[in-house]
Amino acid sequence: MAPDGASAREVKRVPTYCYQCVAGPELLTVKVVDGVATEVEPNFKSADVHPANGKICVKAFGLVQKLYNPHRITTPMKRTNPKKGKDQDPGFVPISWDEALDLIAAKLNELAAKGKVNEQGMPRIAASFGGGGTPTQYMGTFPSFLGAWGPVDFSFGSGQGVKCTHSEHLYGEFWHRAFTVCPDTPYAKLIVSFGANVEASGGVCAVWRHAEARGRGARRIQIEPHLSVTGATSSKWIPIRPRTDPAFMFAMIHAILFEHPRDRLDIPFLKHRSSSPYLVGPNGFFLRDPASGKPLMWDSRLDRPVLFDAADVDPALEGTFRVAKAYELGADGQRWDHADVLGATSFTKMVEHLRQYTPEWAAKICDVPAESIRFVASEYLDAACVGQTIEIEGRTLPLRPVSVQLGKTVNNGWGGYDTCWSRTMLAVLIGGLETPGGTLGTTVRLNRPADNKQASAKPGPDGFMDYPMNPTDKENWIGMPQVRNANRTLIPLVANSPWSQALGPTHLAWLFQQETPPEWPQMQPPDLWFVYRTNPAISFWDTPTISAVMAKFPFTVCFAFTRDETNHMADILLPDCTDMEGLQLIRIGGTKYVEQFWHHQGVALRQPVVPPMEGARDFTWVSTELAKRTGLLASYNTYISRGAAGIPLRGPNYDYTLAPDVAYSHEDIWDRSCKAASMEISEGKEERDLAWFKENGFLVKSFSQLDWYLYPTMVERNMRFELPYQERLKRIGLELGNRLHEKNIHWWDAQLEEYAALPEWQDFPAKWENVVVKMGGTPEEYPFWLLTSRSMQFSWGNNVAIQMIREMARNMRGVGGVLMNATRAKEMGIAEGDLVEVRSPLRATKGRVALAQGIRPDTLLIIAQFDHWATPFAKDFESPSLNTVMPISLDLTDSTGSGADVTRVAIKKIGGAR
Amino acid sequence: MTKYGIVADLRRCVGCQTCTAACRHANATPPGVQWRKVLDIETGEYPDVQRTFLPVGCMHCDDPPCMHVCPSTATRKRDDGIVVILYELCIGCAYCAVACPYQARFKIQERTLAYVEGATKNEDTRFDPAMLGVAQKCTFCVDRIDDGLAKGLKPGVDPEATPACVNSCIAGALHFGNVDDKDSNVSRYLAKTEWSRMHEELETGPNIYYVWDEKR
Repeated sequence: MAPDGASAREVKRVPTYCYQCVAGPELLTVKVVDGVATEVEPNFKSADVHPANGKICVKAFGLVQKLYNPHRITTPMKRTNPKKGKDQDPGFVPISWDEALDLIAAKLNELAAKGKVNEQGMPRIAASFGGGGTPTQYMGTFPSFLGAWGPVDFSFGSGQGVKCTHSEHLYGEFWHRAFTVCPDTPYAKLIVSFGANVEASGGVCAVWRHAEARGRGARRIQIEPHLSVTGATSSKWIPIRPRTDPAFMFAMIHAILFEHPRDRLDIPFLKHRSSSPYLVGPNGFFLRDPASGKPLMWDSRLDRPVLFDAADVDPALEGTFRVAKAYELGADGQRWDHADVLGATSFTKMVEHLRQYTPEWAAKICDVPAESIRFVASEYLDAACVGQTIEIEGRTLPLRPVSVQLGKTVNNGWGGYDTCWSRTMLAVLIGGLETPGGTLGTTVRLNRPADNKQASAKPGPDGFMDYPMNPTDKENWIGMPQVRNANRTLIPLVANSPWSQALGPTHLAWLFQQETPPEWPQMQPPDLWFVYRTNPAISFWDTPTISAVMAKFPFTVCFAFTRDETNHMADILLPDCTDMEGLQLIRIGGTKYVEQFWHHQGVALRQPVVPPMEGARDFTWVSTELAKRTGLLASYNTYISRGAAGIPLRGPNYDYTLAPDVAYSHEDIWDRSCKAASMEISEGKEERDLAWFKENGFLVKSFSQLDWYLYPTMVERNMRFELPYQERLKRIGLELGNRLHEKNIHWWDAQLEEYAALPEWQDFPAKWENVVVKMGGTPEEYPFWLLTSRSMQFSWGNNVAIQMIREMARNMRGVGGVLMNATRAKEMGIAEGDLVEVRSPLRATKGRVALAQGIRPDTLLIIAQFDHWATPFAKDFESPSLNTVMPISLDLTDSTGSGADVTRVAIKKIGGAR
Repeated sequence: MTKYGIVADLRRCVGCQTCTAACRHANATPPGVQWRKVLDIETGEYPDVQRTFLPVGCMHCDDPPCMHVCPSTATRKRDDGIVVILYELCIGCAYCAVACPYQARFKIQERTLAYVEGATKNEDTRFDPAMLGVAQKCTFCVDRIDDGLAKGLKPGVDPEATPACVNSCIAGALHFGNVDDKDSNVSRYLAKTEWSRMHEELETGPNIYYVWDEKR
């Protein structure tokens, strides 16, 4: 019984938000008893507007222990030991906020005087933020400070590229403005999931939507090497051999194309909303009209070539046709002029390409019966409902209630292009890309404007959407990296938005600090590194090496909740106000990853539910102080006024802009944001101030469901999805190769091969086995695949130091240990709870084994990320981590710069159960 | 008549433990004391394996074995079916914990804390020495129900009158209400589904109903 229930204590409930993971935000209330935060509850008032009925996930319940955590850094600290390293005591001593800010400002002013970029043209300041962009929801106006400063290097990842769905980010945005991809779950009949662990990582919106779908009879087939919580709640589990998902998917498409009639496909969609009818010439590029340069199709009715945008034509979906005059445009302007040339449709090129990938072929690779692959293909077609429509908000749209979902590690690293292409192509085949029930993009991060998916879909070349590729032509290619991960130099698809740098390939920044390729000067470390809500010394790969690299950074400033493995190398620690102490207004609603699809949009306030701990400071206060002390106040205030803190302060009939020379309090800044946001939402009718938001928590207006789907925009702007044939990627790949080879760079050649017009099966598992050999081992010595998986309790939370979260996670099978197939373990003499060593050619990690039948005999699983040695509480876990044994290697980096969370390992018992 | 019960739809539960955490918050239980929790159960042999998430806790039995063995009459069954413990009467003999076939009862002798460094502010605020040395278990958040009813609210419908675990469930797997009222939310749910109860053979009349399919 709650002891505070009966007594006459002062009780209030304070609304705020939780945004600890990318699947946020969640709106909650905190019960405060006599000035002490005691209980977290969903904000029941949000049930009518929130897609998950206003629910909040388990992570939010850890925030009270975070607030009152005995391990919190309670005052700014400075390092007294100039030597840095895991084995060095930093000798942190308390200092005042004034001294801390003066030390940082002095360093910043020194760097400004030297020039904000170093001799190599790299920003002198670097910044790393974790959790898939979630720190932005907590760091107030700090982005405005960084904006006012100027060049900042976001290269040093905390996991981006290797822990996110990186290849999907890039190809997803390219093909359908989908930074992340998800099913339109509310209408789904069938979801085929390749390792997507949405029940653990999708947040409350995904869990709610999928539970509702199951409740009305929707099915999900889970294809993955272990039986995750998502597999557990699926109707079928198919345990596939790791890294072979592309083979399964190719065979699925093969079965659909070769074993079912064509009329099971959405022929009108293929003809008019995809590039399927575009004719491809003998050199592998589109046949183009000599006069206009436009790609050609073959009109079946007139029996002649027509431009791709010709009206009232019936383009041939399949076949090879003779064109009297056309040309192909290759890389770097190379042109082939043709007379009387044969061109096959892109669709035909795909069909012929996939002829080789039969279910029997894939069965051997995937260790899955061919009939299972056929079954999934057949179920997929049956659920597609080709021809059906649905009316949404008065508009009739195609209804295609089937989709394919890809998990992290499946859509990332080698094979990521293949799985992303296959998934998107499977949607195109049945007309289910960006249509109700089908495969949807959640948000945009690489295209602009980032807050409007529809507006970002602008017409580009050849009838496709435009895309802000990094240049690959001779004149404009960025041959000398501008930041330490060389993202714009190597990755055309990563674009150049504010997110591009942080997307990476971020592991290259860490790799190049150790050894920069000889064609470029040895990259210098940043002169100053800001770190917030991230711990790359635990969350990246080859973590001991990452730790050694960051130990060489000369001046590191960490905003710190507790001590941890990364801030062990810091020069200054700053205790910011934690989740329940800070003040910030953020945007909510619309559509956003992972499965946030709202009927509303608006703003929500995070506020101090209790007075901040003495010693902690609000992030906005810190930012203003830094701006003041570095002479950047005017520019900083301008950034805030323009909306860098989330809300532009001036609109058609309101103006709350900041005067340039005033250092505003953080309350004043957010009061103005509240007023501006409420005026924006109400279209100038109602001004709500900070006091109103503190009482009410959030304010929303309606958001059209039609904006969940890109399809209506594609129709309105007469655009086609750029599938199946990747002519543009083939061209830029060749151009990138030309540029790199002109500089005598050949270490990216394997990645260049991935720029294929149609994805080709490579022996993906062998790529990992080859790395074993390169590191001096043999695949037989390392017979297991080691995988990782998210837990809802920990994912993105930066919450490993919170006891309640640990306690909740331990209720789930295998968390904190090494999950292994029970039968295989018995054969090896390993019993439940035994202490085991999991060793890759790089090094070993240790943990307790947990046995299960729901995992392949050739696979081990370590859930979440541990192996802490500095973080209080967590350092006593004795929990293993894949990150410790995972090598960072160019050989395991794909053309988008991403890598997959998997490595080959051996396991042996080194101790008995406790 | 009123008989409160919980419907747990196993098709929806994902084992996230949000209910476990919400219960710990609402009832200020110390670390490790989980009146509500979700079991993670595997059956079968590779590759034919099922994994099920099973929310468990006090079943508020119609005929509670814990009550019958209680020598101090501390354990009682209310008219609305909720099994409660009067802590001032409990002598901490733990017979009830042994008798409960659902392992729903806890007893701690000493205060336990989240961190060895000492009690946190919220732990101090909520610490109740009366909970030491006595049996404790899920109460269906009886205070919320009573307070809610006093305000004219409906348990299982209005969150202020509903157990914290049910309020928190992010999968809509948990439902609370009066199973004796054929028009209640839970009775309607049970009428259209296939369900079972744990250890039915013991004839305790448990009041957590596990739904596993639509009515056939």
